[in-house]
Amino acid sequence: MTEERRWHPDLLRRFASTPYVFGTRDCPNLPFVESNDLAIALSVSRSNIFRRQNNWGHAMLCKLIRDISAPVDGSEITLISNGALRVLFQGRGTILIHDRERSELLGFIAPGIRAQDLVSSLIPALLDE
Amino acid sequence: MSSISIDRAALPYAMELCFAGAACYLRTNFSQLAVMLKGLSISTGDAAPSGFDMHVVVDESSEKGAGEPHFRGLHHVVMASFGSSNVFVFDILRRTLSGRVSEATARDSRFWKEKLIPITLGVLGPAMGLVPVHCACLELHGDGLLIAGVSGAGKSTLSVALSRSGFNYVSDDWTYLSQLDDGIVAHGTSSPVKLLPDAVEHFQVLRGRSLQISMNGELAYEEDIAETFGVRIETACVPRWLIVLERRQQAGAIFTPMTSTEARSYVSSSVERLPTQLQEAVAMREKTIESIASLPCWHFQYSGTPQFAAKELLEFAVRQKQEIFV
Repeated sequence: MTEERRWHPDLLRRFASTPYVFGTRDCPNLPFVESNDLAIALSVSRSNIFRRQNNWGHAMLCKLIRDISAPVDGSEITLISNGALRVLFQGRGTILIHDRERSELLGFIAPGIRAQDLVSSLIPALLDE
Repeated sequence: MSSISIDRAALPYAMELCFAGAACYLRTNFSQLAVMLKGLSISTGDAAPSGFDMHVVVDESSEKGAGEPHFRGLHHVVMASFGSSNVFVFDILRRTLSGRVSEATARDSRFWKEKLIPITLGVLGPAMGLVPVHCACLELHGDGLLIAGVSGAGKSTLSVALSRSGFNYVSDDWTYLSQLDDGIVAHGTSSPVKLLPDAVEHFQVLRGRSLQISMNGELAYEEDIAETFGVRIETACVPRWLIVLERRQQAGAIFTPMTSTEARSYVSSSVERLPTQLQEAVAMREKTIESIASLPCWHFQYSGTPQFAAKELLEFAVRQKQEIFV
């Protein structure tokens, strides 16, 4: 047996790599975007949907994963808010999380959801309180 | 669009529960759920070192039961859904579980006992100093025996065989270990024991029982161990030994001592990788893993039936206890 650490498979997809990175964390009016999908990264970084959300003095961190293995099963939207956390589910496959205190927007985007839909309707629905 | 704002005032049924030694502060709008969860709560008698909030909104207009599970996580948040009517959000940093479920799911005690509570302890546990370790746990006259091993090594069949040989059953698959001031404590959740189809060769009582598809997709018997096998359950114990189980080709059984470095490496490799946002939880977990690794540890290699392995382990445990008193 060696000291080498062997991890379980990443079933939650917590450690999906996000090679497309735009923005800096020092610029309060722009999002800092990380994604594994170029279209999502570009659309979110170019949008102005975060301008009025900033309350931390630095950029909103957006980590958005295109989840090709997510179930595609419906368009019903459910929003759950508890304290600083607000979560939007579209079907089961698309999940967006806004942590107001930490100024973070995290999410998994199911196949079939266009980057344009994300910035024009889903993220605004999540942020609109 | 349905929008649920978890508002304490709208969740009038509140109570303090306890699962695997962790306090659970439940709030819900559905009294039957509160009553049912109270029945599943296991009080250890000691003040829980830490706890979590569970806020559950029951949608009484929805009758859809729990569907296929789907899990995802990023940073400090984990989401779980069981069909579109049952969604849960775990905020690990704030130790809070928020959920919206159908009335059918709220009434389904098996769902909470076998799925949601173990999952919650697995996800929020590290933030409470509760380490879920992939091992079985048995207790003999106050001393706990942790049995680790890869999936398929025979932990569950051996747990049943040991429970029928004089040990008390704590858990067969996942054990929750917490660090207290004076050492570690191992907790079970009274989840059903999961036995693969070939277990019927060793336990006649399984003949005629139905196989079920378990959450990881395996076909297995999922049995209430006390009811099916008539054995005693302990909710918690103090672990004294760690055994790493391995099957071997040659007849017989061998115990080989393991160093604490090997034991630490083994346990560390069996726990979930956590993101950098949870450094405090990682540090707490490392402390508990260190305590587990400091237990006397052995590799136990055997061939033959679980009953044979149970006899060898019982003799081993009795010998170890005698050595303590010599």
